[in-house]
Amino acid sequence: MTARILVVDDDVALSEMISIMLRGEGFDIHLAADGPDAITSLQSHNPDLILLDVMLPGMDGMDVCQKIREVSGIPIIMLTAKSDSADVVRGLEAGADDYVVKPFNPKELVARIRTRLRPTQETGLTEISIADVLIDVPSHEVRRGGERVNLTPLEFQLLLTLALRPQQVFTREELLEQVWGYRYKADTRLVNVHVQRLRSKIESDPDNPVIIETVRGVGYRSGKAESAEGQNQAG
Amino acid sequence: MWRAWRWLRRAVGSPLRLWRVSLLTRTVVVAGALSGLAVTVIGGYMSLTIQDSLYESRRDQVVVESARTAAQVQSLFDNAVTAAGTIDVETANASAQTAIRTTQSSPGQGGFAILRVPGQITDQTMTSTSTAGLDVSVVSPSIRQALIQEPEDVHLQSVSLTTTEGIVPGIVTGSIIQVPTAGQYELYLIYDLSDVQATLTLVQQTLVVGSIILVVLIAAVTWLVVRVAIGPVRTAARTAERLAEGYLEERIEERGEDVIATLSRSFNKMADSMQSQIVRLAKLSQLQQRFVSDVSHELRTPLTTIRLAADVLHGQREQWEPESRRSIELLVAQIERFESMLTDLLEISRYDAGAVSLERDEVNLVELVEDSLDQLSPLADQKGSSLLLEVLGGYGIVDADAGRIRRVLLNFIGNAIDHGDGKPIVAIVDSDETTVAVAVRDWGVGMSEQETARVFDRFWRADPSRQRTTGGTGLGLAIAQEDARAHGGFIDVWSAPGQGSCFRLTLPRHAGHSVTHSPLGLPAETTLVDSDGVELGLDEPAEVS
Repeated sequence: MTARILVVDDDVALSEMISIMLRGEGFDIHLAADGPDAITSLQSHNPDLILLDVMLPGMDGMDVCQKIREVSGIPIIMLTAKSDSADVVRGLEAGADDYVVKPFNPKELVARIRTRLRPTQETGLTEISIADVLIDVPSHEVRRGGERVNLTPLEFQLLLTLALRPQQVFTREELLEQVWGYRYKADTRLVNVHVQRLRSKIESDPDNPVIIETVRGVGYRSGKAESAEGQNQAG
Repeated sequence: MWRAWRWLRRAVGSPLRLWRVSLLTRTVVVAGALSGLAVTVIGGYMSLTIQDSLYESRRDQVVVESARTAAQVQSLFDNAVTAAGTIDVETANASAQTAIRTTQSSPGQGGFAILRVPGQITDQTMTSTSTAGLDVSVVSPSIRQALIQEPEDVHLQSVSLTTTEGIVPGIVTGSIIQVPTAGQYELYLIYDLSDVQATLTLVQQTLVVGSIILVVLIAAVTWLVVRVAIGPVRTAARTAERLAEGYLEERIEERGEDVIATLSRSFNKMADSMQSQIVRLAKLSQLQQRFVSDVSHELRTPLTTIRLAADVLHGQREQWEPESRRSIELLVAQIERFESMLTDLLEISRYDAGAVSLERDEVNLVELVEDSLDQLSPLADQKGSSLLLEVLGGYGIVDADAGRIRRVLLNFIGNAIDHGDGKPIVAIVDSDETTVAVAVRDWGVGMSEQETARVFDRFWRADPSRQRTTGGTGLGLAIAQEDARAHGGFIDVWSAPGQGSCFRLTLPRHAGHSVTHSPLGLPAETTLVDSDGVELGLDEPAEVS
């Protein structure tokens, strides 16, 4: 099945070039020139991933990102000309999964896209429970106290990665590699921002997290898994 | 014990400090001391003069009085001789005593003594008498001696009298009286000077009190005057400090037409022109920085398109003629170079504008070095250099911006690979309590002293003819140095032609500190030798796989 990618950029030449490049990689591309256009295309074309330019005329990329997040957990990769911290963090907080700084390496972009489209790893586990949070692995569902929590695929992946090795500490770099597919030049803010977002969704008190704990100076780990129904716990 | 010493030091130290620090204190103390000295001298002189004149006038009075008394007594005795030539000396004596008592009119406790001149043989003798309660010993042998030798004169001696009110000054006068038939007698009159003393004490007390009041007044006036005078100076100093702290709006209140007002006006004028200059420069630098930043950002979108296009062409390069193929390769390589230049330019403009904020995190320097070596190992393999890591310390956590430190390390290692001549490259990490350091050493071509001195200059290249593989922009080390400085650390370098180079980055462990020393030595300091045989000094290490 060909993955559909929605490219949102006001620069016609760049959009066209990106679509040529990505078509060459076997993706199905649809273009949108601005925010409203992107939101309509989201419904009409049902894409699998969005490449979103931060600087858009009229509706800012951040706003578009937020609007999309209200209705969908679709993977969003930001294209930004500014690697300045404030901008990137704002984009990530608006809900972007990842970002690529212009001018980007085409291979890098493709790698980012493929990582985001990659199906969740097979675990053999059906359910993991940490504190009052229950992760239903096959159905990609997370419940807190019986109530369903809406996580984006990335957030689910992040939570699952941590939960599969309860109590094991993951460095930010390890998480970047396993969840975002980065090897080098990793921006640890990606992890920090997404852990915050995830906590705000699943922790009852995000300031005193029990499901995803911070290990000072090292990274993060999940709280104790209370039970793992179905299969044995992963070694 | 120690506490007492500290207390003492503080007690002594704080006035000393006040003396050093406060112009007001100093002026008041000096004015007080000087006026105190002047008043003491003047007061002392006045007191002495008054004492002398008081004493002298009293003495003159005493002399006159005692001469008169002596004459009166003499005539009394002379008149007591009856026509028959006899005399009742005791009766005469009694009336003489009465006369003396009445003549001693001057105030204070007086007294008299009539003593027989020793060594006379006469028809009869008169009883020696003296005032009741008078200690005859006040009449000293020396005055008696002097009187006998010169009987014509009135003799004087200052003495101390013991009275009920204590010891008071007094004067003893002595003269000789001829008592008919009874021979020579000494008449001593004792005058009490306590009234003079009282007057003198009063005068002295008045002088002392007056002096103290005067000194205090002078000190107070000085304090007031100095305060008024240095008040504006203080205000100016405070304002200048505020200005220096960056509160450019701070001004001094201008009042009146005097010199102080002139000072305030000039000061404010200076502040105005400084402020406008600073604001102008700040605006200018802001504009320039924004311009550079905007240019780099605006360039990015078309550059991305170009890059993607070049990459698509590059992917199909096998289909092209050799010349076109080479052109495409050059295009791709130069786009990459252009890109990194743009990035570096933007970064350096950010530093120039002071718009850099560190993303501090808890960083493990050893891990960062390992990562950086890993990342560049393909390039090193290509050039035939082996990359070695020696860790002597530095496992602890450092508060640092991982991205920037990584960039510095990649720059060091990239440079070492570029100029390493295919020889091994060693990265060494060490730390002490407050600092961590990493040094990257190569045994390549090295640099001369002049070259080393310019190595951090922007767009400077060691040797223009030398081939570069990492596509340096000429800004790498300049940025690296800014990165180190932003952390409160520094970068330094050792290099010698033909012997290679060693770049060292030293960082403080904790944010907010800055380093002054490094736990690692440069090769020139010859301490850069580790325990496992990899010599980081001047000699190249033995080939290690």
